[in-house]
Amino acid sequence: MRKRDKTADLPGPKAAAAKANRVEIRRLPTGVRGLDDILGGGILEFSFNLIAGAPGCGKTTMAHQIAFANGTPRRPALYFTFLGEPAPKMMRYQQQYSYFEEAKVGRSVRFFNLSDVALKRDLNAVLGEIIAQVKEANAGLVVIDSFRTLARKATGERCDVEVQSFVYRLSQFLTTWEATTFLVGEYVEDEIRDDSLFTMVDGIFWLSQVSERNSVVRKLQIMKLRGQESVPGLHTIRIGEDGLQAFSRTLGLTGKRTKPARRRYLSTGVPDLDTMLGGGIFEGDSLLVAGPSGTGKSALATQFIAEGLKRGEPGIMAIFEERPDGYTRRAATFGLKLKQAERKGTLETLYLRPLDLSVDETMQEILDAIRRVGAKRLVIDSLVGFEMALAPGFRADFRESLYRMIGALTGAGITILSTVEVEDTFTGLPFSHYAISFLTDDIIRFRYVEIDGQLRKVMVVIKKRGGNHSKDIREYVITNKGIVLIHPRRTDYVGLTTGIPQRTGPRAAQGNEKAPEPKADT
Amino acid sequence: MNKTQKKHLRAGAHAAHVALQIRSVARDLMVYETPSKKSPGMVPHVEFNFNERLRPHIETLYGAAGYRSLLSRALVQADAEVPWLRRMHMKSDGSLDGFEAAKAKLGSEEILEGKVALLSQLLGSLVAYVGPGLARRLVSEVWPKIPLGSLDSDRRSAG
Repeated sequence: MRKRDKTADLPGPKAAAAKANRVEIRRLPTGVRGLDDILGGGILEFSFNLIAGAPGCGKTTMAHQIAFANGTPRRPALYFTFLGEPAPKMMRYQQQYSYFEEAKVGRSVRFFNLSDVALKRDLNAVLGEIIAQVKEANAGLVVIDSFRTLARKATGERCDVEVQSFVYRLSQFLTTWEATTFLVGEYVEDEIRDDSLFTMVDGIFWLSQVSERNSVVRKLQIMKLRGQESVPGLHTIRIGEDGLQAFSRTLGLTGKRTKPARRRYLSTGVPDLDTMLGGGIFEGDSLLVAGPSGTGKSALATQFIAEGLKRGEPGIMAIFEERPDGYTRRAATFGLKLKQAERKGTLETLYLRPLDLSVDETMQEILDAIRRVGAKRLVIDSLVGFEMALAPGFRADFRESLYRMIGALTGAGITILSTVEVEDTFTGLPFSHYAISFLTDDIIRFRYVEIDGQLRKVMVVIKKRGGNHSKDIREYVITNKGIVLIHPRRTDYVGLTTGIPQRTGPRAAQGNEKAPEPKADT
Repeated sequence: MNKTQKKHLRAGAHAAHVALQIRSVARDLMVYETPSKKSPGMVPHVEFNFNERLRPHIETLYGAAGYRSLLSRALVQADAEVPWLRRMHMKSDGSLDGFEAAKAKLGSEEILEGKVALLSQLLGSLVAYVGPGLARRLVSEVWPKIPLGSLDSDRRSAG
């Protein structure tokens, strides 16, 4: 919950004075991509925190990243290990990640194995050893890994008071020595209520692994954070070659500028369709193109991107079904040179088909690409493919996440064209399988109709937010120029939306279509 | 010879190269700590106790028990090439006993070879476990003035 700023009620100068009297708390970088956003700017300096969760969630990796991001030769990070994973083992594995700067070891990041002190003596001796090392090194950051093992050894889980006393004295010492602290420990959620440690710490970083069907995904929750507003909820985390990466539920998109009051029209790349749309798509709108397979949704998406490139608007194509070379080949047949734009860096094609992605990770990939090329136009082809690329556990979140991303991107002035495959039912005109039309400002529906013994294609603009649009159902073909509308609206048929229209006017004279060539001489 | 065999051969050659580099570093360290020769042709006894110099630093990371197991492995590996090392034994605090007795019976060259073999095995274990870069950093904390570039050379050749 957002904390209410009490100084807001005070008159101007008083509010400024009240603010000036507040202690200013510096935010330290976590070194974990995405985590600073989730924390509302970073770790609060001199805070006393707990990184908790079951084994294998990434606690130690997170702690290492924080240590390497903040340790300096003058204010080193001290990493104390106890009974759990020995320091050499940690170093062996952690050096595989790019954040691990070997040059910092021993100077900016120092490791101490206090297992012997913990085994042979008591918590007082451990505290004494930590205090001695912190004083000697003038440490700015302290990690104790695994605190849980240490606490277990100290008390045999019989008495909480000794551990409480240890934590209290440790916290008091480290805070006065202006050190930021992280205790790392294996805990399960049931322990939160009964363990006083959770009350004593300033911040709780809770890591977990969520499994659904065959996929397992790591999650992070900032369960507690004193003095700062964090992004609530469960955030996906992934361990890759750079170490841990966090994907904020808000995708770091909060506070972006909103759509301008007066917006210009962007061309779709199909002049007659622009006319149907009353001039084109509004810049910063989200357009959904719905239709069955083979109706030209990807063709329109290609034309939309190519038109932007022609006008100096960089673009991103996030494709989930067709391969990128298929896209560029099709574009080439339309006379559109996408390869050239890719080489120039004004177009990036993201081919996203891994089956174990979280929706936030996928969206982060798209956002990264948008930032890289400074994209003004984005194609998502298709939403069905996008959903299929996600780990099963994320499919439930798909619409919610998509809503957040589309809202934030269009808010930042990026124009989005998404495609969705729908089946022609011949009894109705559905826009999509999902209730996602609320995500879109404009909807265009493609469909097949049977006319004069042929399966032809028609399109209609269903919706255009904030502007008028043509109500005509127009027939189109896909030629070597892309999508081309070929007829004015049909007045000689009714029931076009059913796919099986009825003729109402006289039959126009027409030549017979050439019979196809035989496939083989038989 | 198939690809896998070739790969194994290359890995074997590389490991041998690394072992040589480590031995060279170990010898450099021992020579650095050995007093200069009093007369030409005479090798003075190596009084230097590398174990006591390295132990506190390695224990910081490995803990006392970790260091003991590291040293005991090094001893087993080294006595395969230098038989007199079999008479050495490690005390519970991680210090080594038996050097004085060996010195009374053996020449200074043999003592030097034994110590180099043992130190090589110890450094080799560090390199194998935490990598040449971190091993070098650890050793340079103990001997900051000695250039230890050759511990890194396997990384360059491997890269």
